[in-house]
Amino acid sequence: MDASLRMSSEATPGRLDEIRLSRVPVYIGALTVLVIAGPFIGLVFATAWSHFGFAAGDGHAIGVSLGYSLIALLLIVALGTPLAWWLARHSFPGKWLVEAFILLALLTPPLALGILLAALYGPYGAVGSVVKHTGIHLTNSPVAFVLAQFYSALPYYVLTARAAFEGVPRDLEQIALTLGQSPWQTFLRVSLPLSRLGLAAGIALAWVRALGEFGVVLIVAYYPQGIPVKLWVNLQDIGLQAVYPLLWVFFLVAMPLPLLLGLASRRQRLL
Amino acid sequence: MHIDYRLERPLALHACFDVEGFTVLLGQSGEGKTLLLRAIAGLLPAQGEPFGGLPPQDRAVGYLPQGYALFPHLRAWENVAFSLPRNAQRRQQAQDLLARVHLTKEADRYPGMLSGGQQQRVALARALARRPQLLLLDEPTSALDASTRDEVMAELIAEVHASGLPALAVSHDPHMAALADRVVVMSGHSIAQQGTPDRVLENPANAAVARLLGHRNVFQGKIIGHLDEAVTLLQWSAVEPLTLRLPYHPRLAPGQDVEWMLAPGALRMSGGKPSADTNLIQAQVELRLNLGELGQLALRCRAGRLWWTASAQALRLPHCALGSELEVELPGEAITCWPAPGAA
Repeated sequence: MDASLRMSSEATPGRLDEIRLSRVPVYIGALTVLVIAGPFIGLVFATAWSHFGFAAGDGHAIGVSLGYSLIALLLIVALGTPLAWWLARHSFPGKWLVEAFILLALLTPPLALGILLAALYGPYGAVGSVVKHTGIHLTNSPVAFVLAQFYSALPYYVLTARAAFEGVPRDLEQIALTLGQSPWQTFLRVSLPLSRLGLAAGIALAWVRALGEFGVVLIVAYYPQGIPVKLWVNLQDIGLQAVYPLLWVFFLVAMPLPLLLGLASRRQRLL
Repeated sequence: MHIDYRLERPLALHACFDVEGFTVLLGQSGEGKTLLLRAIAGLLPAQGEPFGGLPPQDRAVGYLPQGYALFPHLRAWENVAFSLPRNAQRRQQAQDLLARVHLTKEADRYPGMLSGGQQQRVALARALARRPQLLLLDEPTSALDASTRDEVMAELIAEVHASGLPALAVSHDPHMAALADRVVVMSGHSIAQQGTPDRVLENPANAAVARLLGHRNVFQGKIIGHLDEAVTLLQWSAVEPLTLRLPYHPRLAPGQDVEWMLAPGALRMSGGKPSADTNLIQAQVELRLNLGELGQLALRCRAGRLWWTASAQALRLPHCALGSELEVELPGEAITCWPAPGAA
């Protein structure tokens, strides 16, 4: 037995040589990562750490961004989850049209989407002109800010959540029904826990999209100024050195959640 | 329990039969056995009794699909407790059910850490927790190793008997029929035969049923004619000029295509002198199956193959060696004839 073991271990290096993977992708891959990481590493050196200070109004921008992004996120989850479920679990005539509209919203450049929103919700737009009479303005207002974030982030959440629901084996949901659970209980006890990582990834993606949205917000909600618009204003009014502190805050509040969940969903578990 | 279900889609199917104790529904793949179970569980639109028209959550069935569909995010005991109301006794009730299927130690494991047989028992305990009136099992042996299959099935059937619940298992495995209290055979999307395993195995309703039940000596042939209303002459198609003599079958017309079966164990070594309704056949030993106490020989006679079941002792005799020629007796009274399907 010893002899055969030794023989097989001797044979192994030869076989590994035959199937050794090419090194070229590794070199190119490492270079690509360096290119991607460059700007982030650059930020560490570019920041004037000895005079680290916020510009006037930065604190307010942080509050605006966090508060309204959270509201937009809640709306996205509340309205996007049923839509994602509908697309994942039902087939109906015209489903392609629903899918096309979601993709359209996803693919439309932010600036173009902002113009479309302004046309619909602006003071002379079909919806905006009606709602104006109730005293609610759908441009340059908190409602407009949330609306802009909602539009830009919703498609990302819906597509991710749909994929997450589609990943739940149907027979598990059906077994839950035969075990006396209502469709709603089945959703809560089987579909939701089994799709939680995908849903979390969708929420994280929507969070970054909403928080970082600039183009749509610039057009329909220049005020109240959130972090992205404030960054732009600082850049215009003061200069590059004035944006770094706010940029750091943006990274600190926007990134940890999506980074964590992104890594977790690659590994199919939390932490 | 009487089952009467009718399906239109995805295929037309009508099944009307009784479930007593551990009942096995045999049928080939594509017969719609799984569809029938899903229809009874309410997961597929269908008309029928019992439970007709109820949504799945209101049907008192315990459904064990192929692969068992345990919830991967829940521990064994949580799977079992899935249908139990959330109260202080929930864990204890689940533990009691797990104890019934001898899985007390595995209560805290996730399904991925359990063997196929253990998963099946967790699924059974989970189904029992729902207090069903009927158990439905889809191919209960399909996810089991061949080596542990009989062991696991014995356990499962014992548990079904202990629970006193009628259970309907669908399978294409003839082996399952022998284990059952009652056998139902499905052929052509409807029920071809039902009864106790003994009766069904002994008297298959037609050749398709016989094959499903695992009978191997089933062949095609043609009725040549009758002799003096005492003997019917049957030609074995695969062994063209050979004519077999069997007791008079007045209902079979000369020229009629038939399927015929030789009862298992009826084949004999030739004793020398032929009698009126005994048929002697020359054959060559093609294959030997050693199955312990009993063995089987595959005997080649031209294009036909006869299977002979005999004791291991008999199979060790020199004339049973591979390739040797021998003469066997086909007793006429052990031959069953059915009109060939599709024959006018």
